[in-house]
Amino acid sequence: MSTPPSVDRLRDLYRRLLALYPRDFRQRFETDLLQAFDDRRGEPRFRGTTGGLRLIAFLFRDFMTSVPLARPRADRRGIELMINDVLRDLRFSLHMLVKNPLFTVAAVATLALGIGLNAATFSAVHGILLRPLPGAEDPEELVQVYREWAGIEFGSNSVPHYQDVRDRTDDVFENVAAWFFEPMSIAADGQTERTMGLMVSADFFQTFGVDPVVGRAFIPGVEDEGPGAHPVTVISNGFWQTRFGGDPGVVGTTISINGHAFEIVGVTPADFNGPMTIAEPPLFVPLMMVNVIRPGFDMLSARGSNSMNVIGRMRDGVTVERVGQRMDVVLTQLREEYPASYEDQLGTTLVLQSEAGIHPSFGAAQMGMSTVMMAVVGLLLLLACVNVANLFLARARDRKREMGIRLSLGASRARIVQQLLTESLTFSFVAGLAGLAIANVSVGLLAAFRPPIDGPWTVGVEMDSTVLLFTAAVSLAAGFAFGMAPALQAARTETVSSVKGTGGRVGRSRMSSGLVVAQIALSLILLTSAGLFLRSLQSATRIDPGFDDPANLVMASVDPQLQGYDEAEARAFWDRLLDDVSRMPDVSLVALTSTPPLGLNTSDRGVEIPGYEFAENERSSLHYAYVSEGYVETMGIGLLEGRSFTEADDADAPPVMLINRRFADRFWPGESAVGKAVQTAGTSWTVVGVLETGKYGSLGEDPTEFMYMPNRQRFRSDMTLVARTPADPAGVMQSIRQLVRDMDPDMPVYDVRTMEDHMGIALLPARLGGTVLGIFGLLGLALAAVGIYGVMAYSVSQRKRELGIRVAMGADRRSVVRLVLGEGLRLAVIGTVVGLAASLGAARLVQGLLYDVSAVDPVAFTLVPATLLAVALLAVYVPARRAASVDPIGALKAE
Amino acid sequence: MPALPVPYDNALPPGFTLYDDRLADLLPLTPTVFHMLVALSAGPTHGYAIAQEVEELTGGQLVLGPGTLYGSLQRMVASDLIQEAPNPGEDGLHAERRRYYKITGLGSAALRAEAERLARAVDAVRERLG
Repeated sequence: MSTPPSVDRLRDLYRRLLALYPRDFRQRFETDLLQAFDDRRGEPRFRGTTGGLRLIAFLFRDFMTSVPLARPRADRRGIELMINDVLRDLRFSLHMLVKNPLFTVAAVATLALGIGLNAATFSAVHGILLRPLPGAEDPEELVQVYREWAGIEFGSNSVPHYQDVRDRTDDVFENVAAWFFEPMSIAADGQTERTMGLMVSADFFQTFGVDPVVGRAFIPGVEDEGPGAHPVTVISNGFWQTRFGGDPGVVGTTISINGHAFEIVGVTPADFNGPMTIAEPPLFVPLMMVNVIRPGFDMLSARGSNSMNVIGRMRDGVTVERVGQRMDVVLTQLREEYPASYEDQLGTTLVLQSEAGIHPSFGAAQMGMSTVMMAVVGLLLLLACVNVANLFLARARDRKREMGIRLSLGASRARIVQQLLTESLTFSFVAGLAGLAIANVSVGLLAAFRPPIDGPWTVGVEMDSTVLLFTAAVSLAAGFAFGMAPALQAARTETVSSVKGTGGRVGRSRMSSGLVVAQIALSLILLTSAGLFLRSLQSATRIDPGFDDPANLVMASVDPQLQGYDEAEARAFWDRLLDDVSRMPDVSLVALTSTPPLGLNTSDRGVEIPGYEFAENERSSLHYAYVSEGYVETMGIGLLEGRSFTEADDADAPPVMLINRRFADRFWPGESAVGKAVQTAGTSWTVVGVLETGKYGSLGEDPTEFMYMPNRQRFRSDMTLVARTPADPAGVMQSIRQLVRDMDPDMPVYDVRTMEDHMGIALLPARLGGTVLGIFGLLGLALAAVGIYGVMAYSVSQRKRELGIRVAMGADRRSVVRLVLGEGLRLAVIGTVVGLAASLGAARLVQGLLYDVSAVDPVAFTLVPATLLAVALLAVYVPARRAASVDPIGALKAE
Repeated sequence: MPALPVPYDNALPPGFTLYDDRLADLLPLTPTVFHMLVALSAGPTHGYAIAQEVEELTGGQLVLGPGTLYGSLQRMVASDLIQEAPNPGEDGLHAERRRYYKITGLGSAALRAEAERLARAVDAVRERLG
């Protein structure tokens, strides 16, 4: 029989609650009490989830009866009375919650959504930006080091530069580490995957203060000596768990990285996920192995090849200013020693790790974004509280009679305040629980989110104790805030002066009316922005990307050189794969490209056009791709003039190029581009064909020049295969994977998907923006609806007498409904007008992210306000109906 | 508090007089204490067994939580209704170190007196309601 882990947590909680008993009782009976708890826990009726709840209720009652029991007789009476009061208030509060389901659902849902989204947003902001790097020791001592160039504030570092900085800053830094992400294909246990690993300097783990849980870290003085001499790796805890089932025996075994054997020497602790909060690299490889991991380029001695992040741990008492002064000295020295490499470097930028966020170059934007997010959800929570307070006020008003009777029967005011506070705190406890559930679900969704890009990217979000405390504080504060007002108001109840019911408009509610207007305006802004994103998505799908039918284009990327192939082997590999895929029955056309369109990366390169003079600031660096013969046909790109590539365009043939119409029109307006020359990459290429202009970087881009060169004339190892299939994209993807596996079982294939899915990346910002704003907007709408309902319900209950008189004087019920509806709608219309004006401003902010949608999109700007007004109408209708059903005699007699 | 008239003086164990102050102070017993004494009247036993016995005696009406159980036991020891008894030993079933309790002479007297009081009440009701 196994007990669920929650029960053990329960036992722990129980043990702590024993502190409620007097000390001598506790000391005498602690083991017996726990023994009794265990005995009870073992009983069938207290097993499982419902059993657990039953056990909690059982223990609660036990505490209530036994805490006074265990005290000396003299104190007992007072405590018993107090506990009786609390119990009675609690029971009454629960009764009130159950008795008014509509009120309870509206209020709990409102507050729960406010609390839940607050906790979720706080988790996200905290997890990604604010939280000190998890797993790192004393993260406030860490400083990121960047080279500053003209126009580049946060420039990366080269290996020799890093080594010089490390060796010359001993007085300010305890350790200086360097790291960068590197694509790696990892084979272990017959499974191959392509992912981003981390190349790190040997003192990386010392710098971050991370001790492996198994094995060892890299050793400075060993793994930073001798390029290629130490094929070892430290694997991440996550990789260790998923691939090796947490077996400590992996230390000493080898795995294959890019076709080379590496010995696993250590496993990182579970809480350390590397130097960035948005990625969890599965393994760490010494920097000195970079020439093995990525052959062909000697990065270790290239002083000008800046691609590394450098981070230092400051010695005790050292300030960032002092590090800066030291770095200036180092830079002066290096300038003298290597004038060519340093003449353009302006200085060094230092950023405290704790202030860097995801990357300092996102700078104010990331903090700004999160501030805005927090402000929006904070505002939503505030509105939620106001709404709930309004609901409570309306109810307090209805319960004035009850309070009056209680007072006249001799209840003390303090007693009544205590009861109402118990009610609102019970309520906020329930709402807090519901909010926590909502937060859990949304955090789960966030954490499960993976951008459609291969790599170990994650959203480092989890509910942690900070978030829990935050939620608890928010919900308690909310409970207190809205509990107080009605409690005080109710306790003030005199001989019920309300008979004088001010008539006319409700004076007190001017502020709540203002808040309702603000709510409607706010949710309108959010909803119209969401609407714009959705409209933009809609029109993006209508944009012609310049090629045919992306749903039937299959892509797969392979880089044979990652697996240690040399150029000849890689060429042979690609030729064979092209041949095999073209023979597959479901594939009609197949080709290769170095840069598929609409991905995240584009490549550009400076060109010279004989006879064309570039103006001073004219853009001369243009996008390009290396493609195989058949690419134009496979993609279905329109050929306007000339020919496309053939197999004959190889290294022995004269260099040829295809350009798009935009390219031709820019450099040779009004004449044929075929036969013209373009100089780039050290060669003169002859244009043999002109293609239709498509979309290359993003769907929203303006027409852009593009050139294609044959991959047979310039070799590239990392290519993407594109295959057109009339019928079965999923089957073709499967077959391509199998073909590659048959040729080399360790060869990783990545980014296997249809072109349509691939294009999803380009649509990601619009999709994310639409979803997030849509959720917040709908929440805002719900809040506004509850808010307007609360205010109107309050107003109706306050004007019961006036409405009763109207009905008694012969007003027909319809006109009463109209009266109340009109008043509610007045608020809604004002809110809508204000919101529309603000939305026009907000639309301008998001315009840059929109495709082909005007910031004043008529659909978004009519549909959204109409929906909002309809919802508002519905929310006003309920209290209006109630107003109309006022019994005139009862209303007049009642007070 | 006026001493209760307890007419069945032959029901008292030796050493207790009819109007014993200690006994008078203890009566009437609370249902919890009454049932716990009933449970213990069969012989010394430990806390959890008492709670189970009480639950059975009351047909599940009275389920004693840990705090109520030991709070009551402490009070009953303090008022001399029961006392701690030696643990009968490592006979496997009770090998754990549980505290054992047994009923005292005063406890038996109180239980008897309370039972009589209840019996009289029951008799009276039966007589009137038929």
